[in-house]
Amino acid sequence: MNDMTNVQSVLRRLVTIWADFEGRLNKVDIISRINRGKITLEDYKAILLNHRQQVVEGSRWISRAASSIEAPYLDQRSSILRHAATEHLDYKMLEADFVNCGGKASEITKGTKNIGSEALHAWMMHKASQQNPFDLLGAMFIIEGLGKNFAGNWVKKLENCLSLSPEQTSFYRYHAEHDEDHMEELEDVLASGILAIDGMEDQIVKTAKVTGRLYLLQLEELGNV
Amino acid sequence: MRDVYITSAGGFLPGSPITNSQMEEYLGYIKGKPSRFGKMILRQNGIQTRHYALDTDGKPQYSSAEMAANAIHTALERSTVSKDRIEFLSTATTQGDTLVPGFASLVHHNSDLPPMEIASFQSVCASGMMALKNAYLNLKAGEKETALSVASEFSSRWFRPGFYEDYLDHSGDTEVNNDAEFLRWTLSDGAGALFLETDIDSGQDLALKIDWIDLCSYADRYEPCMYAGTATNDMPSALPWASHPSPSNAAAAGAIMLKQDFDLLYRLFPTWVGHYLSLVEKGQIKPEKVTHFLPHYSANSLRQRMVKLLEKTGSMIPESKWFNNLTRIGNTGSASIYLMLEELMRTENLTEGDQILCFVPESGQCIVSFMQLTVVRGK
Repeated sequence: MNDMTNVQSVLRRLVTIWADFEGRLNKVDIISRINRGKITLEDYKAILLNHRQQVVEGSRWISRAASSIEAPYLDQRSSILRHAATEHLDYKMLEADFVNCGGKASEITKGTKNIGSEALHAWMMHKASQQNPFDLLGAMFIIEGLGKNFAGNWVKKLENCLSLSPEQTSFYRYHAEHDEDHMEELEDVLASGILAIDGMEDQIVKTAKVTGRLYLLQLEELGNV
Repeated sequence: MRDVYITSAGGFLPGSPITNSQMEEYLGYIKGKPSRFGKMILRQNGIQTRHYALDTDGKPQYSSAEMAANAIHTALERSTVSKDRIEFLSTATTQGDTLVPGFASLVHHNSDLPPMEIASFQSVCASGMMALKNAYLNLKAGEKETALSVASEFSSRWFRPGFYEDYLDHSGDTEVNNDAEFLRWTLSDGAGALFLETDIDSGQDLALKIDWIDLCSYADRYEPCMYAGTATNDMPSALPWASHPSPSNAAAAGAIMLKQDFDLLYRLFPTWVGHYLSLVEKGQIKPEKVTHFLPHYSANSLRQRMVKLLEKTGSMIPESKWFNNLTRIGNTGSASIYLMLEELMRTENLTEGDQILCFVPESGQCIVSFMQLTVVRGK
């Protein structure tokens, strides 16, 4: 049984988890303040500083996940490797935004992960080290959903509220514009035969849930290093 | 537990249909000037005609309770049951006629019904579903055998110039913003009533069995999105209108205008869709089994956003099965789903076993509700 019914069921469960995640995200202090337009430049810089420490590790877990993929899933491995390549310099945008907001380059490049980012990073690396870790598609659904569903709104609010220019919001702007079509890619990978792996559907869903929770932790713990 | 059926429905739409170009003749011109936003908002919501309980001088022709009573009257005219046998009246509205007493009392007073238990529900669009669920459960539990559930809205009176001009005079602004204009060009007036019974005899030509009603609030995670009675939806700084020194102070501060936070409205979508998909995943909703889908939505453009996601998740109900009268009778808030059901029962050729799915999202502070009905035809 690996027809479109299974793919649709996984997508339904992922969208449901996303909805719950998004609702909880709106309650996190920093996000609630962005939504309400009650944010300062220092808050924004703190977000950039904290976020960079996770993003810089992003291509590590994606490429490790790729290296954990064995035959017969070699086509999927190639596409995940390509994905790692498209994102491996993303963190430089965060650094540039930080500097353009008046921050020191050395502060952001030498920053360390907050305790939420530590948990998120450890979880992603742990998952990526398992054999054929396609459950990380659930994690990607959450993380890229943030780009698609949230980044655009954040940029608008931040620019209105703090009078920021595009060179101060390049990272969020880029992801708002480029994370749009991943739903189709995800659908393709889900339909490519990976759901034949025993228990994979439930694992994808669970990994999405845990990743969402740890992402919130990262935002709740801004500055707590 | 007993089975509960909707055995008749009545609707009331005041006056003649009002076209888009006539709207401001009825609502009035704020500061004497035509609105800059109206045309754009009408393009988004797709509404062509609606009804107002106002005349062109802005004078009310009915109260909301009178409209509700008229809808009840029609529902009972279509029923074989004498009004003396009605045991329960459940009412819904966004804003009743008075602050005190409750809306159900006013409707009861106007409806020529005998003494009975009543209940008032006040929310926004979902209040209609709350009222209906209470009536449904009273019958299901065997507490009552007959009930009326009625929803009525008189939104247009809120959109007359006097409801904005105190604020403009005080703030120095020359016009109201899009958040305040949106609902002015979207909501209109009307009432609907549903009559519920537990026992249906074989002489009943058409009844809708209520399979279930599901309603969930997500106000734990959102600020108010459609609101009046506070100048802002930033809750830490929001002052309820009655906490201002006087009602006129509240009006001058902008706490009386009915507003919609547009940014937030778009953020509610994933929550509504997520709730729907969880019901599909649980097997409670089976999209392929739905014969008639009655979605209440405030704007035609909003529906486009959902279609792709629903298709990808195998949860789309084909548009050929959608039934909606928004473009003709407007958005009547809590009464909308009642007026859709009333029209469906009156005009569609319903067949035994047809499944009807009603969808009522409320942007007020994020509520979502669904109801499933099954068509029963007399022998």
